[in-house]
Amino acid sequence: MGSLIRLAAAALLCAGVTACGPVQAGGGPDPQEIAGRKINVVATIGQVADVVDNIAGDRAELEGLMGPGIDPHLYRASEGDVVSLAEADIVFYNGLHLEAKMADVFEKMRGSVTTVAVTSEIDRNELLAPPEFEGAYDPHVWFDVSKWMSVTEVIRDALVELDPEHAAVYEDNADAYLAELEELDSYVEEQALRVPEDQRVVITAHDAFNYFGDAYDFEVRGLQGISTATETGTADLSSLADFIVEREIPSIFVETSVPQRFIEALREAVAARGFDVNIGGSIYSDAMGDAGTPEGTYIGMVRHNIDTIVAGLLEQPTGGES
Amino acid sequence: MARAPARREAMEKTSAVEVMDLTVAYSDKPVLWDVDLSVPQGVLMAVVGPNGAGKTTLIKAMLDLVPISAGRVLIAGRPYDEQRRKVAYVPQRGSVDWDFPTTALDVVMMGRYGALGWIKRPGAREKQASMEALEKVGMAAFAHRQISQLSGGQQQRVFLARSLVQDADVYLMDEPFQGVDATTERAIVTLLQELRASGSTVIVVHHDLQTVAEYFDWVTLLNVRRIASGPTAEVFTEPNLRAAYGGRMAWLQTSEQEPVAD
Amino acid sequence: MFDLFTDYTLRTVAMGAAILGIVSGVLGSFTVLRQQSLLGDAISHAALPGIVLAFLLTGSSEPLPLVLGAGIAGWIGTLCVRAIVRNTRIKNDGALGLVLSVFFGIGLMLLTYTQARPDASQAGLDKFLFGQAAALLQDDVVTMAVLGGIAIVAVTLFWKEFKLLSFDSEFGRSLGFRMGAVDILLTTLVVIAIVIGLRTVGVVLMSAMVVAPGAAARQWTDRLGVMVCLSAMFGALAGLTGALLSSTGARLPTGPMVVLSASVIVLLSLLFAPRRGLVWERLRSHRRTALRTEGARP
Repeated sequence: MGSLIRLAAAALLCAGVTACGPVQAGGGPDPQEIAGRKINVVATIGQVADVVDNIAGDRAELEGLMGPGIDPHLYRASEGDVVSLAEADIVFYNGLHLEAKMADVFEKMRGSVTTVAVTSEIDRNELLAPPEFEGAYDPHVWFDVSKWMSVTEVIRDALVELDPEHAAVYEDNADAYLAELEELDSYVEEQALRVPEDQRVVITAHDAFNYFGDAYDFEVRGLQGISTATETGTADLSSLADFIVEREIPSIFVETSVPQRFIEALREAVAARGFDVNIGGSIYSDAMGDAGTPEGTYIGMVRHNIDTIVAGLLEQPTGGES
Repeated sequence: MARAPARREAMEKTSAVEVMDLTVAYSDKPVLWDVDLSVPQGVLMAVVGPNGAGKTTLIKAMLDLVPISAGRVLIAGRPYDEQRRKVAYVPQRGSVDWDFPTTALDVVMMGRYGALGWIKRPGAREKQASMEALEKVGMAAFAHRQISQLSGGQQQRVFLARSLVQDADVYLMDEPFQGVDATTERAIVTLLQELRASGSTVIVVHHDLQTVAEYFDWVTLLNVRRIASGPTAEVFTEPNLRAAYGGRMAWLQTSEQEPVAD
Repeated sequence: MFDLFTDYTLRTVAMGAAILGIVSGVLGSFTVLRQQSLLGDAISHAALPGIVLAFLLTGSSEPLPLVLGAGIAGWIGTLCVRAIVRNTRIKNDGALGLVLSVFFGIGLMLLTYTQARPDASQAGLDKFLFGQAAALLQDDVVTMAVLGGIAIVAVTLFWKEFKLLSFDSEFGRSLGFRMGAVDILLTTLVVIAIVIGLRTVGVVLMSAMVVAPGAAARQWTDRLGVMVCLSAMFGALAGLTGALLSSTGARLPTGPMVVLSASVIVLLSLLFAPRRGLVWERLRSHRRTALRTEGARP
């Protein structure tokens, strides 16, 4: 019922706003007009917003809808969000059903606001499609840095199309950022190799790290499924506990955007089997760190994650007592 | 206070129930207005009046079950709070859900809860007293019967037994004859008369004008105000009935013994 | 089945679910008898804004303050119901429905507002809607047992007062018992029962646990004591069965499985209980007509 009302409000707002602004039918605002002012950009998750920030810099008035610690699978757009979206020149979102509860909103916006799914250019063959997700792709692509480079290019191209007068700015910034991403990709690979093969298992609260595992050769297991909206069953918890004990995995990891209780329940289950697994630290999955901190940027976050994971996995497993 | 003989004398002079200037109103609508009533000890009194006259409200006001707008009630010369143990209440049969999972004996034992106080459970003594009460109303055989399986008359008798175990001086009953069969009615009347004979005061809200003179030695006619109150022979007269029932009486029989309402 | 004893997680969840079943069964008996089945629903839905507010005020994601908030909000909800019935012409069921929807609406609104906060996801507030049984820790089960124990002790102590309240509250008042206080006590215990179950079964489904075991038990007996014990057993059975069932498959949620088990118990009781069951009634009336036609034959 609530979403129906929200849709109605969104539709009315769109109609109202587009009637006022200098918008051409179906297309974006006039390039001359837009060159003379800052562009209004709305991004959903922080990872996307960070890339936009790096490419557009001062040219953009950027608003991120989902801040640090927010779970994008569960996020519902508020009235304020809908207004921001309606007034934007361009909207960037992850796509692949990550922002599952905003799908209706994007659908409604399609005709009047330019919306860009930043993952659109990634070759579908390179996307993971887990069987439980029934034909949909795993959306957590940002953990494979090389895929995030494709995302950077998509954002750059969209901005150039929107604001061709400043194309040079966007292209230069993008180039610089892509270079940084290359460096990051190598760093992660290097660090990953420090962990012996059979220890390369990352266990977290939900299945967000499949691309990470795929790209950098880690085995990845999550307690919940692809989306945190699903509920874990006791069987899932038990089988994961068995797995941890069997492989003598030293650390499991907490995600910042998912309640810690689940990981603690897992640890208790493992302890009941006579093995003591550490909680290796907090890693960022769906959301990034606080603004102003290194982990508040995409690059900082990825670095933090690989550092934490490697440190946790290199610890000696302790069986039995503390 | 006073010496024993003097006290006995004083008690005999005190009414069983004294109602003074009683007014009960719900959001500006008076249900009882300025009622004065003095019920002597040892009478069997009927309270009669048309629907909405406030009969049930009068009983409930005596029991402090409804908020009183003005006036007060005394039981044997003292406020009701101090005399709770002396008053037993038999509510209308329709006021409970008889599908409740309990037995006749269990319902009667509820009458002893007041004496037990908080938390204490009823024991052998209470059970005995309850069985005796059931005997008195002729329901001993049904002690362990589920109350939903009892007939209307039987249920009414269980309610009466519940009041009997309270060992009270004053009994307040709301339409105990409503919907019972003839046998039960006779049994109840006998019981009430026994109570009166043993010195208790019994006040009964009664709906059947035909039987007032036969069963009750005192009567109060009520229609928001007190119309009349006193011995049946004196008070249960045509003019009083007309005053109480107003235009509700279709016709009156002029015989002294059996005035009839519509 | 054997897993119940060997598997730590299943054991923990099953114990929690069983405790929840027992306590809600005991207290649910009284709400069912007093024809206040909607009360459980109202309290559990009213708990939602309490949970969110507790999080907003304390910033803590520990279960204790959240559950406390749930309890207080649920309790306030019952006070509102009482006030509405007393001061307006709205009857009990209308008041319950009103409080249920208004409080729940406020709760959802607060929930949406809260998700903009960075630490919101950590608190798992969303999980209170449908429960997250698998995340129960030993401490949680201990807390549930203690609270549940207190509630059951209270019911045993005030047994005759609760019986009086449920059967003939006015008579109780005439005896001198403060029935208003007893009512508040019973309602408070119902709030405790609901709060115990919130993390396992969730706000939306908890009401079923307060109604189902009691309704099922009523079908089998005409004695209050037996009914309450039976209700506790049915509740425990539903809890254990739900936990077991959800452990057999991947991604089978525990809360809904518990409620489904309880519903099956109710259905079977409605159909097959002797005397009150529908199937027996049908058989009896067939037998009666058969006898009648037989008697009619010369």
